[in-house]
Amino acid sequence: MTNFTITLANQGGAAFDVDRRKPLLQSLREQGVDLPYGCKYGGCITCAAKIISGKVDQKAQRALNNRQINNGYIILCVARPMSDCTLEVGVESHDKLYRNPFLDPLAAHELKADIATPLEDKK
Amino acid sequence: MTNHCCGPGYASPAEAMTAPREKLLYTIAIYTGTGIQKPDYLCTIDVDPESPTYSQVISRLQMPGIGDELHHSGWNACSSCHGDASMERKYLIVPGVRSSNLHIVDCGTDPRNPTLFKVIDGAEIKARTNLSAPHTVHCLGSDIIVSMLGDAQGNAPGGYLQLSKEFEIVGRWENSMGSIKFGYDFWYQPRHNVMVSSEWAAPNTFMPGFDLEEVGHLKYGREIHFWDFEKKEPKHTFYLGEDGLIPLEVRFHHNPDSSHGFVGAALSANIIHWWKDAAGDWQWEKIIDVGNEPHPEWPIPIPGVISVILLSMDDRYLYLCNWLHGDIRQYDISDPHNAKLTGQVWMGGLLGHAPEVNGVKVTGGPQMIQLSLDGKRLYVTTSLFSTWDNQFYPEIRTNGGCMLMVNCDTENGGMEIDPLFVVDFGKEPNGPSRCHETRYPGGDCTSDIWA
Ligand code: FES
Repeated sequence: MTNFTITLANQGGAAFDVDRRKPLLQSLREQGVDLPYGCKYGGCITCAAKIISGKVDQKAQRALNNRQINNGYIILCVARPMSDCTLEVGVESHDKLYRNPFLDPLAAHELKADIATPLEDKK
Repeated sequence: MTNHCCGPGYASPAEAMTAPREKLLYTIAIYTGTGIQKPDYLCTIDVDPESPTYSQVISRLQMPGIGDELHHSGWNACSSCHGDASMERKYLIVPGVRSSNLHIVDCGTDPRNPTLFKVIDGAEIKARTNLSAPHTVHCLGSDIIVSMLGDAQGNAPGGYLQLSKEFEIVGRWENSMGSIKFGYDFWYQPRHNVMVSSEWAAPNTFMPGFDLEEVGHLKYGREIHFWDFEKKEPKHTFYLGEDGLIPLEVRFHHNPDSSHGFVGAALSANIIHWWKDAAGDWQWEKIIDVGNEPHPEWPIPIPGVISVILLSMDDRYLYLCNWLHGDIRQYDISDPHNAKLTGQVWMGGLLGHAPEVNGVKVTGGPQMIQLSLDGKRLYVTTSLFSTWDNQFYPEIRTNGGCMLMVNCDTENGGMEIDPLFVVDFGKEPNGPSRCHETRYPGGDCTSDIWA
C-alpha cells in the first residue's frame, strides 16, 4: 500500500488520498488545499497542524518542543503519513502552539528533543 | 552643499542632514503566521503633511507567494558609492526570513508605486550557498551582502550571501566564520577595516518562537564579533555574558572616522558600547541598563526586550525600544561612555501605560524605528516577528500592527508622539496585517555607511 487517506477535520471533513513517501504539505497543496507554510525545512513552525488520529513520521522536524508534540502538533512540510490520519490544519489549530514563555515555563522534559531531559532520567 | 555630480546618497552625514524632508516611506507588512492566506507586501506610506493622503498607505506591492515573513530590507546602493556616478539608489532588497526568497523591488521608476523587478528564489540560494534565513542587507561599494542566519537546514551559524549589483548570486562573502556560533545583524566601518556582527540564534531555534529555557542551554547569542573586513574573517570576539544576552541591532557612528559603536542586548535590556582605545585595542562597556519591571499578574518582572536601537545622523542621540515594556527612549550620547536619558514616550507594551494612542489600540510594543535624516521625526511600528508576536501579544492577530510618529527635539532632547499621524494596519483591505521595518527613498539613519 503506498497511499493513505488524510481527513481535514476543520475543513468540513474533506478527505485526500496522499502518497506516503511525500511530505503532507506537498501532497495536500498539490490537491488544492490552501495551507500556511514558510521555510519548508521543518524549522519555522508556520505549517504546524494538529493530529487528531493517526501516525506520522516527522523525524526531520526541528521546530517543535516536546510540549507541542505532546499536544499533538506535527510539522506538515516534513511529516510523512504512516497511517490514515485526521488533522486540524492552519492557524485555527494553533490554540496551544504559542504560549507566553515568562508566564508558562517549560519543564526540562518539555524542551526540544536535543536539549530535553527524559522524564525517566530525572530524580 | 548638495552634490549633484555624483552617485547615490550624500558626501557626508552632515550633508545627509540637510536633505529635503522625506515624503514617502516603504514599510513591510506581513500575513505570515496571522491565519490570512495572503502574501506579505511592501506598503508605500504618504508622509507629506501637505498631501491629502498624508498618513495613509497609498500603494501595496504583494510578493508572489505566501509565507515569506518579510522583515528587514536594504538598498542596492547607499552613500558608500556616493563617488560612483554609475550607481543609483533604485532597488530595495526585501528578504523573506522564512522562505529565504530575496525580492528585488524597483522603487526608482515610480517611487509611489514600487514594482517587483526580480526574485532570487530561496531554493536556489540554499542550493548554491548552503544558506537560509536572510536578515540584514548592506551594500558594499557595488556589491551587496546579506547576513544569512542559518545553513540550508536552518542550523547556525549561517554566513553571508554576496550578490552582484545585477542581483546575481556571487556566493559566500566571508572567507571564514571562525568560531562564530550565531548570526544576526552587522555594520561595517571601512576606515577602521572593521565589521561588527551580532547574534540572535539558529533559525530552527528562534523561528518557531521563544522558549526562555533555551537561553540557559546556550541556544541564543551572547557574543559580538569584530571582523577583519578586508580579509573577510572574524578576528576578535567579545563574550558579553549575562550583560549581553541576545545582542541584536548593531550601529556604528555615522562619522566614518569614529570607532565607536553600539549594540542592543535584547533580553538583558542593556546597551553595549565599544570603541578602539589609544593602543588600537577594541574595548567594550555597558552604558545603559533597563531594569525589569514588575507586572501584577506575572511571577517574575518583565525584561524590556530591546528590539532595536538607532543613532541620529549626527551621532548625538541613541534611540531604543523596549518592546515588552512599551517605551521608546532617547539618550544623549555626545559622550558615548556616558548616556543621558533625555526623552521617553509610551505606546502599547505589557505594562499598560498607553494601550491606546491617537484613537488606535496599540497591540504589540514599539519595535522597529526609523529616524528622518534631520533627526526630527521617528517612525515606529509595533510587530516584532510573527511567532513572537503570537506569544506575547496574541490579540495582534485580530488588531494588526500600527505605525506612529514621534517628534524629537534635537536641540534640548525630548520626544512627543505626533497627535495627527497614525497608520492602522488593523484596517488593511485583506485583513489585519503587521508592520515592521521602514525605509525612506533617499536613505535613512540605518541604511547609509560612508567609506
Ligand atoms: S514550513 Fe517551516 S516548519 Fe514547515
